[in-house]
Amino acid sequence: MALSRRTFIEHLAVVGGMTLAVAGMEALGFGFASAQTLPPNLTGKGKGTRVVILGAGLAGMTAAYELTKAGYDCQVIEARSFAGGRCQTARKGFTHTDLIGRTQVCDFDEGLYINHGPWRIPYNHRSTLHYTKLFGVALEPFINDNDASYVYYEKGSGPLAGKRVRKGQLANDMRGHAAELMAKAAAKGGLDLPLSKDDRDRFISYLISQGRLSPGTLDYGPNEGRGWDVQHGAGVTPGAGKLSQPYSLSDILGSKAWEAVEPLGEHEQQITMLQAVGGMDHVAKGFEKQVGHLIRYDTEVQKIVQDDRGVEVLFTDKDGKAGSIKADYCVCTIPLSVLKGLDLAVSAPFKDAMADAAYAPVNKIGLQMKRRFWEEDHAIYGGHIYTDIPGVGSMSLPSTGWQGQKGVILGYYAFGSDAVRISMKSPADRAAFAVAAGQKVFPEYAENFETAFSFSWHLAKYNLGGWAEWSEDARARSYAKLCEPDGRIYLAGEHLSYLSGWQAGAIESAWQQIARIHARVNAA
Amino acid sequence: MTLRLTAVALALALAAPAITVAEVGGEAQFLETCAACHQPSGQGIKGAFPALAGDAFVVGDPQAVTATVLNGRGGMPAWKVDLNDSQIAAAITYIRSAWGNKASPVTEAMVAAERAKSAPTTARGAQAH
Repeated sequence: MALSRRTFIEHLAVVGGMTLAVAGMEALGFGFASAQTLPPNLTGKGKGTRVVILGAGLAGMTAAYELTKAGYDCQVIEARSFAGGRCQTARKGFTHTDLIGRTQVCDFDEGLYINHGPWRIPYNHRSTLHYTKLFGVALEPFINDNDASYVYYEKGSGPLAGKRVRKGQLANDMRGHAAELMAKAAAKGGLDLPLSKDDRDRFISYLISQGRLSPGTLDYGPNEGRGWDVQHGAGVTPGAGKLSQPYSLSDILGSKAWEAVEPLGEHEQQITMLQAVGGMDHVAKGFEKQVGHLIRYDTEVQKIVQDDRGVEVLFTDKDGKAGSIKADYCVCTIPLSVLKGLDLAVSAPFKDAMADAAYAPVNKIGLQMKRRFWEEDHAIYGGHIYTDIPGVGSMSLPSTGWQGQKGVILGYYAFGSDAVRISMKSPADRAAFAVAAGQKVFPEYAENFETAFSFSWHLAKYNLGGWAEWSEDARARSYAKLCEPDGRIYLAGEHLSYLSGWQAGAIESAWQQIARIHARVNAA
Repeated sequence: MTLRLTAVALALALAAPAITVAEVGGEAQFLETCAACHQPSGQGIKGAFPALAGDAFVVGDPQAVTATVLNGRGGMPAWKVDLNDSQIAAAITYIRSAWGNKASPVTEAMVAAERAKSAPTTARGAQAH
C-alpha cells in the first residue's frame, strides 16, 4: 500500500497527537497561506471624490491614508479624543471610564505601560509591518514563547496539580514520553505504518532526536534538554552537575498541564513576533502623523443616510452641537456591536447580516511591580505564564525593559464568561483578584505589586467587545454580504476579515474596500 | 450525527428534572455571566446593552431567545462555548421570570435541541491575539 503524505500525517496525529502531526507537516513542506502584503495600487481617477470615513482606528486611518494619496478628498470622524481605535496603550495619565461609570487613571511610573489592546505583531502580518516600516515605527521582539516560563494548572490531579512547572521541562518530557512509546512500537513493527524499512528507520531516528531518547534502548530519561537539578558549571563542583528527573507521563497527564504545551503555535503565534517599542499605540501614532489633519475628534456619529447620489453623516461634536458631512462614499469602520445602535440607512437584509456577528468579552490588566522578580529570582525574560485559574487565561511578562528596576506584568488576558465575571468587579477588586492569582505562581507577587490598570473591552463605549466572533454558521450566512457595499456605504475593520482581532485584519479589510470604491469610481 | 441525536433524545427524556436544576441557579448564573452588561436590575445600559426587564423579545419565543444566548447576536457574545445547557436554561428561565417578566421556563432539553441546530464549536485556546 502506497503511503500518501496525508495518511502519514494522520497516523502521526493518531499516535503522537498534533505535536508530531504538525512537525510532520512542516517537515513535508506543507505551506500555510499568508496575508495580503501590499496596499492596492489606486492609479486612475479619484481626484476630488469625497469619502467620509467613520472611525480613526487602523482600518479608518489606512483608508484615509491610501485614498488621500490617490487624490481622494477624505474626512474622518472619530468619537474619541485620540486616534487608534483599539490600538491603545495605557501609561501615566491615560484615563478610561467604562460603561458602568468606573473611572481609572493610569498611574504607572514614567516609561512603563500596558498594551490593553493589540500587543503583538506576527512576522507574517506583512500588512501591519508594511506600515510600521513606512512610518518608521520602531519594533522589538515580543517574546511569545519562553521555555523557562511556568505552567500552573490546579484543576487536574496527581503530584503536578497545583504545582508550577517549567514549560520547557514539561514540553521535553511530554515529547520524550510520546516519542519513546512510538519509537518502541515502531521498532517492534507494532505501529503498522505502511513505511519501507528504510523510512521506518528514519522515522525512528526522528523520534530519537525529537524525544531526546537513548539511541540504544529508546528510553526517555534525564537529558540536557530538560536541564539540571544542579546546574553544570566550572571545575569539579558543580562540574558536570546533576541532571533532573523527568516528570512521569501519568503525572503530566493527570495534571492537565500538557494542555499548555504547543510545539508550534498557530500560524499567527509563531516565532518571530514583534511589538512597537514604547507601546503599541505608536503604530496608531504613525498613522495619525500622516492623516491626523483629516480627523474630526470627539465627534459621535448619530445617523448615516444615503441615496443614489451620495452619503450624509450626521454627528454631534463634543459640545453636543449637531453637524453633518456629505460625501460620495462612506467607509464605515465602526464595530458591528456599536453600529447596530446607530440610525443607519441600509437594507433590512444588510442589517440582519450585521446582527449575526457576536463579539468577544475580553479583559486585560496591567500590574506594576516594584521589582522584576520574575527575571531576578526566576530567570524568566518575557513570555507567558499558562494557568487554568478561572478568570486569568494567561499572565504575561514584559518583553521590554529587561533588567531594569520595575516592570508591568499583564496580570490576566481572558475571554468569554471568565472575562465577564471578573469585569463585574471594581478596578481595585480586579487588581486584588489578579494579584492573588499571580501569588499562586510567584511568592514575590503580592509584596511587589504597586498599582494596576484594567480594561474590559465589552464595557468600553465605542467598542462593546474585544473583537468580532463569527460562528461557522454566521460566516456562511452573513459575512460575505457585509463585505459587499450597501449602496454607497462600505464596511471595513477586523470584523470583515478572517484575521479577527488582529490589526492586520483591519488594515487588509480597508485595503479591499478602498480598492472596490476606486474600481467603482473608475468604472463610472 | 448519531451521537448528537442520541444526546438530544437523552436530554429530552430527562427534561422534567432539568427544569428543577434550572430554577435553582438562575439568578446566580445571570449575575455571573449576564449582569455585567445587562445589569443586575435587568435594565441594561442605554445605547449599549438592551434592557431585559419588560422586553418583548425576552418574554417572547423561547427558541429565539435560546438561539441568541447560544450563538450571540448584535455584538452579544456566544455562550455555547462557555456554558452548558443547564446553565443556559437556568439563566434564560431567570430573565423570563424576573423583574416582573412572566414567561414560560426554558428547559435544558430545549437548549440542547437549539444547540444541535448550529455548527459545533471548539473551546477557545488560552490565547487569541
